Amino acid sequence: MTLISIDIGSTWTKGAMLAFSAQGQLELVARAAHPTTVDNLSRGFNAVFEALAANGDADELFYSSSAKGGLAVAAVGIVPEITAEMARITAHSAGAKLTQSFAYELTNADIAALQKSNPDIILLAGGSDGGNARYPVENARKLAHYALPSTIVYAGNSHVRDDVQQILAGSDLICVDNLLPTLDCPNPEPARNAIREIFLSKITAGKGLDEIVRATGREPSPTPYALYEYCKYIGKFAPEFGEFLLIDMGGATTDVYSFHEEINISGTVRRGLPEPRIKRTVEGDLGMRVSARAAAEALRALAPSDDPADADFDRYVSKVTTAPETLPNNPEEMHYDTLLAQANIATSLMRHAGRAHEICTADGLVTMQTGRDLTRVSQIIGTGGYLANTPGFNPSGSISRLGSDAQGKRILAPRGGRYRRDPDYLFPLLANIAKGHPAAAVQKGLQSLTAGS
Amino acid sequence: MRATKFKVVLGVIGADCHAVGNKIIMSVLAPLGIDVVNLGVMVSQDEFIDAAIETEAEAILVSSIYGHGEIDCQGFRGRCIERGIGEILLYVGGNLVIGKRGFPTVEALFTDMGFDRVFKPSVDLVEVADLLKSDIRKKSPATTVQTGRIAHRLAG
Repeated sequence: MTLISIDIGSTWTKGAMLAFSAQGQLELVARAAHPTTVDNLSRGFNAVFEALAANGDADELFYSSSAKGGLAVAAVGIVPEITAEMARITAHSAGAKLTQSFAYELTNADIAALQKSNPDIILLAGGSDGGNARYPVENARKLAHYALPSTIVYAGNSHVRDDVQQILAGSDLICVDNLLPTLDCPNPEPARNAIREIFLSKITAGKGLDEIVRATGREPSPTPYALYEYCKYIGKFAPEFGEFLLIDMGGATTDVYSFHEEINISGTVRRGLPEPRIKRTVEGDLGMRVSARAAAEALRALAPSDDPADADFDRYVSKVTTAPETLPNNPEEMHYDTLLAQANIATSLMRHAGRAHEICTADGLVTMQTGRDLTRVSQIIGTGGYLANTPGFNPSGSISRLGSDAQGKRILAPRGGRYRRDPDYLFPLLANIAKGHPAAAVQKGLQSLTAGS
Repeated sequence: MRATKFKVVLGVIGADCHAVGNKIIMSVLAPLGIDVVNLGVMVSQDEFIDAAIETEAEAILVSSIYGHGEIDCQGFRGRCIERGIGEILLYVGGNLVIGKRGFPTVEALFTDMGFDRVFKPSVDLVEVADLLKSDIRKKSPATTVQTGRIAHRLAG
């Protein structure tokens, strides 16, 4: 049996044909890529499909799209550290691009900001079930009053769902179960599914994706959603692999996924929301090309001694920002790329990982922890164009140099994990296949990992 | 119209890691019909208030065992007012101060801070549950009015 998997990225449409061996393992048959045809995605898609199909008929097709970098979602909650945070985590886990986040009552300035950014979705949360009714109702009323065109997903206090439904009767509204029904019991899945379904209906309309759906009879997955699910499958089908971190660094954004379970440690008190087993964070400002300027600034903030701070570096950053297809063509430029990549990874991990600090108590020192403790995570996987194609790069050094943040709290990033890359840049394609053949896709992905340097 | 739920937020304040008493309180109150949102140990004032806002709790129950309650609880009512839940019931109990002060002195200290009730460590928790329910019932007309206002405006 042979499979074709295609991922329509913002710059490249990439695909692979894989076949099952007699032992039931997936093997790579062919690869193909074509620049993404933004005006009509089906042209690039068809070019890749035909190039792959030249190697024989495929029995199954899987594909994904990261069109527009995912759906733009604005998150609304009540308390910034509780339902607003849960709404942000949920949006990221659904593969969305978080544009804004609001807490408490939406002010006129907040509404103006929403009107300006015009997100695809407003994720309206707030209140545990049977809890706060005031803010979700008030915020629904405000959204109704200004008749914002976004699709609204209501995932707040379920006891006022009927009220919200009534208030927003004139809007494009989807109501799902509360993403935080009780404070210690997060429930992101219903809102996550709703966002994915809206992705399918909004993204597939126009730009040629609808033609692909008609021709193939299959729906695309949002690329980051598929990768999130793939992380879940790695945990399920390869438990021996252990806890891991997956870094997907592109030209514009850096996504970090971690598969990790918090355990109770004597002397450590955890505060804040319970951590999900898989967490995705997206740094929309950090990347190798379009976002190279922010990466250069991150480098300056993080490791001033590494910052070349010379005119050549500055010119290189400007060049790659305006011409994202640029590849380094001398050792100096390769070094610049290394610096940008290190700064991106360290900064995005700093934002992804939790914090710890010590407090003196009557019982001696106690460690207070917020967020996730990834210090013992042993596997680090790199994917995305640069990481997949750069054998000499290893981010472990810059990760282990992460000490404390500006408040003096320890950053709980991995300490000395083993770094390997996805050399054939197969992860997004295998993530698609995992939808139908999870065990084989996981096995192939982990088998293909290659040491960084 | 919302029926009274007897929903309360419970936790041990400050840098206090005494976890056992907190679990005992929860295990007594819950079967008596009180819906306890237990935040555990080392809870800050804002964490109590955050949880109360999200869950629309009717009372906050603050425990303190290690003697620094006097410092940890200062300004609690003011913070509730600032955060928009100034009317919430505030209970405090435990070994609240260091030194040999009589209970009436300690009680006055904490009621002056804005706590509605102050309890000794030896208090019978069933009594606390009864007091809590009657205090919440006394306050509940106000809640009903507020819900009514929302319902009214919905209809309008």
